[in-house]
Amino acid sequence: MNRQAMADELDRRVEVLLAGTDPAGVEPEPLLAVASELGMLPAPKFKNRLKDELMEPYRAFAPAGASSEWAGASTLAGMVPLFSGKRAGLFPADHRSFLVSFVSHAALIALIASGIFVVRIPTIKPSGLTSELTYPLAGHGGGGSGDHSAVQATRGMPPKFSDQQLAPPVIVVRNPEPKLSIDATVLGPPAVKLPQSSHIGDLISSNIVMPSNGTGVGGAAGEGSGNGLGRGNGSGYGSGFDRGTGGGPFSRAGIIAPRAIYDPEPEYSDEARRVKHQGVVVLALVVDPQGKARDIRVARSLGMGLDEKAIEAVRKWRFTPGTKDGTPVPVQVNIEVNFRLY
Amino acid sequence: MKALEREPDDRMLIEAAQRERSHFAELYEQNFDRVYAFIARRAASREEAQDLTAEVFHQALASLQSFKWQGTPFIAWLYGIAANVLATHWRRIGRDPEELSEDWEQGGTDEIERRAMLAELVEALLPDQRTVIIRRFIEQRSIRDVAQELGRSEGAIKQLQLRALENLREKLGVTL
Repeated sequence: MNRQAMADELDRRVEVLLAGTDPAGVEPEPLLAVASELGMLPAPKFKNRLKDELMEPYRAFAPAGASSEWAGASTLAGMVPLFSGKRAGLFPADHRSFLVSFVSHAALIALIASGIFVVRIPTIKPSGLTSELTYPLAGHGGGGSGDHSAVQATRGMPPKFSDQQLAPPVIVVRNPEPKLSIDATVLGPPAVKLPQSSHIGDLISSNIVMPSNGTGVGGAAGEGSGNGLGRGNGSGYGSGFDRGTGGGPFSRAGIIAPRAIYDPEPEYSDEARRVKHQGVVVLALVVDPQGKARDIRVARSLGMGLDEKAIEAVRKWRFTPGTKDGTPVPVQVNIEVNFRLY
Repeated sequence: MKALEREPDDRMLIEAAQRERSHFAELYEQNFDRVYAFIARRAASREEAQDLTAEVFHQALASLQSFKWQGTPFIAWLYGIAANVLATHWRRIGRDPEELSEDWEQGGTDEIERRAMLAELVEALLPDQRTVIIRRFIEQRSIRDVAQELGRSEGAIKQLQLRALENLREKLGVTL
């Protein structure tokens, strides 16, 4: 019997099977035995439909697939109020907040576009591997503080940048009648002009209502530590260290930042790979004059063994050291280790 | 019978799902075919099997926090929920839930593994063969309908059907 004849004969018997008229008690041939089991498989889309149904409540804020992110975003978009005041049921619209937010963001965008505020961050993407690494370089920095308040620092504008800081920025003034009044400043390049407002605060805080110096330590305002403003550590503004603004280490004039010359890829931990855990580990470290990483600490943790994997890899890295006037000097840098599964 | 290839470490997945429910999707993917097979061999129709399977996973997700790792596989916990769901359903329709335990003792696990494996093997078929199998045996459509949909001759569809069933039988036989 040729293949077509076999296929025809099999189909004739399949038709009998599907019609449910197969003679009882007769042992079916192996192919028909398989065919009879196929009849109870679930409908093709059932498995995915049920999965979507189960995961629906956890999608809006979970790092899931692209479609669920869009679903969550559109749900949220339907909840937040518009400037016109429509859809104000869940989050009441405050026109002043919109105005302050709009002006602040416009100013930031203008600064970024002008090239004064930030510099290009080079990105290294090792070919075919699972993580990408970025180095914040010159022009960055940050600061942070707070007075252990229960809520975030109030949203507002940071004070002027200055080479010297005589008074740190505070939002809730504990001494309303000082004998000597001094304007608050944050340490940073005075050439960088931010729009000024009488409402000192953190530009990106979600707290627009309650006056607060923030949850950090240091006596000024923010979520970090030091005498600055923001989520970092130091006397500048933002999420970085030391002084300046924009996140990352501050680069003083005349210092050339270190560059990685040997950067082996970090491995994925088994635990994180199994549950497809992804994200960014931020390591703060010092590149010493010999071009080695030392004093490595985790500035932003990802957990599930990825912090350790990031440290393990970066410890092997070698850099051209940062230099000042041609002499190698230790320089603090942040390294973002981006763990992604492809 | 050789069991389906499974991820060896349930515990880590369970703990991840208990911390963050969106990770339950991984446990679902790993266990869906066996839970469905467990239910389907006792259900009267595909629709009933699907409804009861959905109930099992909803209950599992709702009570995941109460799961305590004691070394037994996660699927055993899911089978327990599935047995309760089936017993409740059978009581509702007037059947004796005692049949469940008798059935389990009569080699039920082997058949569940075989059915779960069959579902995975269908997924792994070449796209044309998979389409023919789904249209013919799950949607119960005629050869003519399938031929029209795929723009092929009826003879070609019958050949695809033959090849697909031969592939499934061969792989089921090899893995038995």
